[in-house]
Amino acid sequence: MLELTGLTAGYHGGTVLHDLDLTVPAGSVHAIVGHNGAGKTTLVHTVAGFIRPSAGSVRLNGREMTGQPAHKVARAGIGLVPQGRRVFAGLTVAEHLRLSYRPPGRGDTSRPSRWTPERVLELLPRLGERRGNRGTDLSGGEQQMLALARALLGSPSVLLLDEPTEGLAPLLAKQVYELVGTLAEEGIAVLLVSPSPAQAAECARTVTVLTSGRVTLRVDGADARTDPTALHEALELTPVRTAAR
Amino acid sequence: MDLLDAHFVPAVDGVAYGLLLFVVAAGLSLAFGTAGVLNLSHGTLYAIGAYTGAELSDGTWGGLAVGLAAGTAAAAAAGAGLSAATIPLARRGHLAQALLTFGLALIGGNLLIEFFGADDLPVRVPEALDSSVTLLGHRYPAYRLCFILMAVLLAAFGTWVLTRTRVGAAVRASADDPQMLATTGHSPRAVHTGVLAAAGALAGAAGVLGAPIIGPGAGTADTVLMLSLVVVVLGGLRSLWMTLLAAIAVGEVQTLGVSLAPDLAPYLLFAAMAAVLILRSQFTEPATAGAHGGGDGGSDPVAWLRRRLSASFSGRRAATATAEKAVAEKAVADRREPVPSASGGPLRRLLSGGRDDGGLAARGRKAAPLLALLVLLIALPTLLDAYTLSLAGSALALGLLAISVAILTGYAGLPTLGQTAPFAVGAYATANLADAGWTAGPVQIVVAAIAAALFSLVTGPAVIRARGTTVLMITLAIGELASAAINQLKSLTGGADGLVGFPPTQALFGGEGMVEESEVYNYALAVAVISVVVTVLVLRSPAGKLLTGTRNAEARMRASGHPVGRYLLIAHIGAGALAGVGGSLMVTVQQYLSPADVGFEIAAFALLAAVIGGSTSVIGALLGAGLIVFTRDWVASSWPGHGPLLLGALFVAAVYLLPRGLAGLRLGSGPGGRGAAKADQLPPDHDSVPAGKVAP
Repeated sequence: MLELTGLTAGYHGGTVLHDLDLTVPAGSVHAIVGHNGAGKTTLVHTVAGFIRPSAGSVRLNGREMTGQPAHKVARAGIGLVPQGRRVFAGLTVAEHLRLSYRPPGRGDTSRPSRWTPERVLELLPRLGERRGNRGTDLSGGEQQMLALARALLGSPSVLLLDEPTEGLAPLLAKQVYELVGTLAEEGIAVLLVSPSPAQAAECARTVTVLTSGRVTLRVDGADARTDPTALHEALELTPVRTAAR
Repeated sequence: MDLLDAHFVPAVDGVAYGLLLFVVAAGLSLAFGTAGVLNLSHGTLYAIGAYTGAELSDGTWGGLAVGLAAGTAAAAAAGAGLSAATIPLARRGHLAQALLTFGLALIGGNLLIEFFGADDLPVRVPEALDSSVTLLGHRYPAYRLCFILMAVLLAAFGTWVLTRTRVGAAVRASADDPQMLATTGHSPRAVHTGVLAAAGALAGAAGVLGAPIIGPGAGTADTVLMLSLVVVVLGGLRSLWMTLLAAIAVGEVQTLGVSLAPDLAPYLLFAAMAAVLILRSQFTEPATAGAHGGGDGGSDPVAWLRRRLSASFSGRRAATATAEKAVAEKAVADRREPVPSASGGPLRRLLSGGRDDGGLAARGRKAAPLLALLVLLIALPTLLDAYTLSLAGSALALGLLAISVAILTGYAGLPTLGQTAPFAVGAYATANLADAGWTAGPVQIVVAAIAAALFSLVTGPAVIRARGTTVLMITLAIGELASAAINQLKSLTGGADGLVGFPPTQALFGGEGMVEESEVYNYALAVAVISVVVTVLVLRSPAGKLLTGTRNAEARMRASGHPVGRYLLIAHIGAGALAGVGGSLMVTVQQYLSPADVGFEIAAFALLAAVIGGSTSVIGALLGAGLIVFTRDWVASSWPGHGPLLLGALFVAAVYLLPRGLAGLRLGSGPGGRGAAKADQLPPDHDSVPAGKVAP
């Protein structure tokens, strides 16, 4: 379970995220939607340990993670699939898998499931066919699979997905969302950043709308599916609603 | 067949030499390519290994093994220390690293001499190898054959680790994207430290094993650094095989080349390096030169040349306006200091190093220290003894060189290690003029400036196409080619002995030659003041703004129709002329001229003076040069033999304590200045990206 309380963070220029509260229980998908510059990626980067928050806390299964450097966050069980995939240009698919494979320690029982390269290739067979190819030789969809594989091989409890369908054909995007559902069923807590409220509502248990770094709406995924009006209003109108947990 | 036969031994020597360079250069390339550290102290790491190996060598296998272990460990530890030292500089670019590592190299070199003595250390190879064997009918030293074997093994092992293991994959991933490496649970900082330690270990091991080939001595570090820089440049950073080929080629030039064509060999290496760099920057740099945007038709030099030639001077005013706009926009975007606008007097401009932010009161406040400096400089002859005064004169000459470097580095965005070449042209022109009886100061200055400008016109096209570190390397090659030429053209330069005994310069036409130190100093001061004022007026004019616009937003300038290449060429010529004036002054002040006065060390000092001064500050560069001469010659005279140590300490301190240079000390008051200073002082993100890559 991922818990963010009062999270405030930004860059040298100023604060981007303001006092953000958010919980992602194990086995569920929590979607973040918002316009460009709303602070979605800043949120993901803060949780991943790239940015040190100026206030608030990040907790993983009750364990304090605030201010930990990125590699420790990763080792603790938070996996990241970044925006733009960012696969290693000079490494082959096989090298990506070998580099990323990091079984949890013996005493660590918090992980929902254990991922090995073999299991990842079972889930994403296309990668097996491209084992010898370098990151930059892959298509966009394949790169997305590889970025996902890279995150899964740490056997994460929490998965951060930053716009995982960006630039993918609709059919591929649909597959990615199905995959996200499968992973959540495994017991992984998924924080999904999506530009599309419809897709977010489709697979998420909870949807949070971010506007200028603040939570302006939080709705149940099922409600948003039946009546997306509130979601659309929050995204298209100036923020008038207060946050509802 | 006879020819082949006669050169068989040098050819095999070339292989040994080349493999030695390969191991060293692989470390340098690893540190630069994957950890992003431009390590000018890499040669010192080799020297650490060589000294340790030589000291522990006693003619037994045990001595060699102990030496190898100790030398490798010592150099690896030094490499790890270097990693800790460079991590705080992650966002400061390669110039800060160059300043730091050059300083550390000076300190390290001085300490090694302190510890092991100034003489070359003898090396005793194991007795079993201290003989010669028959190789295809030739006697050849057994140790060298054994060395070839060991170097191949070492190279193969290193290659295997880098390309076949998980550790190697982590290293390559860290070069690609350190943040993403962190998401796989590996600490980028640990990889950074490990890479620099491994690079140090490679250099150290090469030093121990290669000591019988390039032995430990005072010049070892410089030789090894230069040659491995050449290898890295020729081989590129992409492929180990290319590095290997380049290393063998350089080894052959150094051995076979010297025995076949002793006159050409000195030029060959650096000419090849310059050629490779120029070709590469012509065809690939625009695509990779991120901050500098694309080239104007970089793929077709002919079309580019034609466009440049046909570019007209029409619409100059409008052009300047666009430049200002581009610069201002860029400044806002970057939170950098706004660029000089046309208002404000030259004194202000001098002081602020190009910033313009206040009324008359501020102007007066800012001019006060400059006037104080000028008064102090004028009063110096009454304050100092003759020796110190002549040092002050040298500082002025070096100061002009530093200003010319600052113009190229700070204004044109072309960091240069080759301004000693036009400096040398001016210096040798003056010495030769004096020798021929042309002793009038104005004549010497003007001729020196014109000669240096012509020289820069010729070398300019090679420099201005490249950006960033590539410029450093191209200009380094130009400087080294000039040095080689100075050593070869004995009739003009006196070769390694230098020139001495030419008549003194007259301050004006007619009159007596200047012999008194105070006369010479006053002459130097007058020339320096005139040069500085002219420089500042030019930099303040629309021409200066176009240049700053080019540096800050090259793509926008190009898009606005500016012939950027021409601006840079003109800047290069102007800076060359200024360096030539500096060279002329130096000859007048010193009354002798040796190749060391225009060598790599002086080029490095000039660059460092400009960086210490703040890169865009004319007065800062002058003060930086003064500080360097003061430290090297005056402070060091009270602690003999420790000049390099003191200078190194100065450079290291300057990197950490003056992130914006001397000019940054006073600039906290301006709105832009403060913003810029703040951006520099902010600590990097925790566990920041060592290679200076920033998240998108």
